[in-house]
Amino acid sequence: MLSVEDLYAGYGAILALRGVSLQVKAGELVALIGANGAGKSTLMATIAGVLRPFRGQITFEGQSLLALSPEEIVRRGIALVPEGRRIFPSLTVAENLRLGAATRRDKAAVERDIEEMCTRFPILGKRFHQPGGTLSGGEQQQLAIARALMARPRLLMMDEPSLGLSPILVDEVFAMIRQLHKSGVTILLVEQNVERTLDIANRVYLLNTGRVECQGTPEQLRAQVDIVGAYLGDMWRGD
Amino acid sequence: MIGPLVILASVVHLFGGEVLQRILTVLFINLVMVLGLQIFMGNSGVVSFAQIGFMGIGAYASALFSMSPQAKAMALRNLYSWLVPVQVPFALAVIIGGLMAALVAALVGYPLMRLSGAAAVIATFALLIIVHTVLINWSEVTNGPRTLFGLDGYTTLWVSVAAGILFLLVALWFKETPLGLQLRASREDEAAAASIGIDIVWVRWVAFVLAAFITGVAGALWAHFITSFSPLAFYLPQTFLIISMAIIGGSASVSGAVVGALAVTAIFEGVRGIENALNIAAVFPFAVSGLTEVCLSIAMILILILRPSGIMGSRELRL
Repeated sequence: MLSVEDLYAGYGAILALRGVSLQVKAGELVALIGANGAGKSTLMATIAGVLRPFRGQITFEGQSLLALSPEEIVRRGIALVPEGRRIFPSLTVAENLRLGAATRRDKAAVERDIEEMCTRFPILGKRFHQPGGTLSGGEQQQLAIARALMARPRLLMMDEPSLGLSPILVDEVFAMIRQLHKSGVTILLVEQNVERTLDIANRVYLLNTGRVECQGTPEQLRAQVDIVGAYLGDMWRGD
Repeated sequence: MIGPLVILASVVHLFGGEVLQRILTVLFINLVMVLGLQIFMGNSGVVSFAQIGFMGIGAYASALFSMSPQAKAMALRNLYSWLVPVQVPFALAVIIGGLMAALVAALVGYPLMRLSGAAAVIATFALLIIVHTVLINWSEVTNGPRTLFGLDGYTTLWVSVAAGILFLLVALWFKETPLGLQLRASREDEAAAASIGIDIVWVRWVAFVLAAFITGVAGALWAHFITSFSPLAFYLPQTFLIISMAIIGGSASVSGAVVGALAVTAIFEGVRGIENALNIAAVFPFAVSGLTEVCLSIAMILILILRPSGIMGSRELRL
């Protein structure tokens, strides 16, 4: 479904990705882990079209994404839940959801999807006419995910959805991701919380200073724990 | 909101003198300009200093189409010969004024809309200066820095009231359209708006062009109220006045535009009355002038300190 080949990208003279290749197949939950500065967010930004790569190829369902604007990439079916949630705080929950469908033209179906989001995330229905900024951190994360789903993406990318949440809410968020995946959504997940991520992912890529250090199923990665642990130090033990 | 405005206009029409009627007419024309500014600045969060340039374009363009050939021969000796016999009804001339302003905004707007923050302020300010320079030097159509005269006073109190209410409804409608909502989202968080597929430059551009049209219409109405004017009317004092109305009222809401236009006009006319009284009574051994600007500035500073989002903030009054 999504295929990244030999990608080089960065900021000015700084190279953040040095030849990254990665595949996501339909229905998979693929996780991207690695320490700060490994290049995870850069990879997300490059796939989303916010950052232009120096070299390499990104294809989605057989078509190249390289020359496309971020809007066009959303239209092709890739939605991003950005790091730090980034909901619109003074707009209502309803308006936030409606904005998620900004690239869609099918009004009636959008209204139906908004109702479905309120069923799937009941708290959003309860807070429907409240400004997004009045929601708690966990509720805002649900809103951010629901907003991304409103675009009816075929691939959902999530950038550190558990960041800055209390331990109980982290449990909730991971349960939510697992459920989304079960309902058929293809997910590319960036996380720092390695243990939890290995529990729910189909396949994992470990990034280190811009390269794929190792990849495979969670079991395969766990088998290589010694090698990996050496690179990741404390972080490997999870939070 | 509309009810009280109509009642205010009716009371002034029935019981107010000539002076009060003129003040109210200008108030409603200014309201149209603040609404234009609100549509762009209020929804996008990008400050524009260029609006009064569009007012000038609307004023001159409409004048060229509404004046009689005789009046043009008197006032514009070097006018292009093909433009001299052209004369259309007032309403059409006003729309042409708005369209000309919108056309200029459409052409220069696209690169400008990529800017935000201080860069946008400086770029739109530069646009105001450019428009002003063109108006002063394009003698064929503007009579240069000299006064253009001979327009007919088509804009009555009720014409300005009708325009004020019409664009009040337009501003309220625009805010809730999908495009208006996307624009407000980009004001809140540009990166997040882009990440959900909003084309920020495009939505800003549409609002900028619409706002220029409305401001151009206001300029056309003003031109046919005052009937003689020079390019100096479309420069810094007027820019300052309109922006202070938007900021004092609160630019995030349409109601803020109404409240701001009313409040600033009240301050302005009140202080001017005091100033005149002081001068006539010769309280000081010198003539007092500039009190209005001083008071407006103080009012704006107080608002920015005490209520940075303006009197209304983002609340809307009922229609």
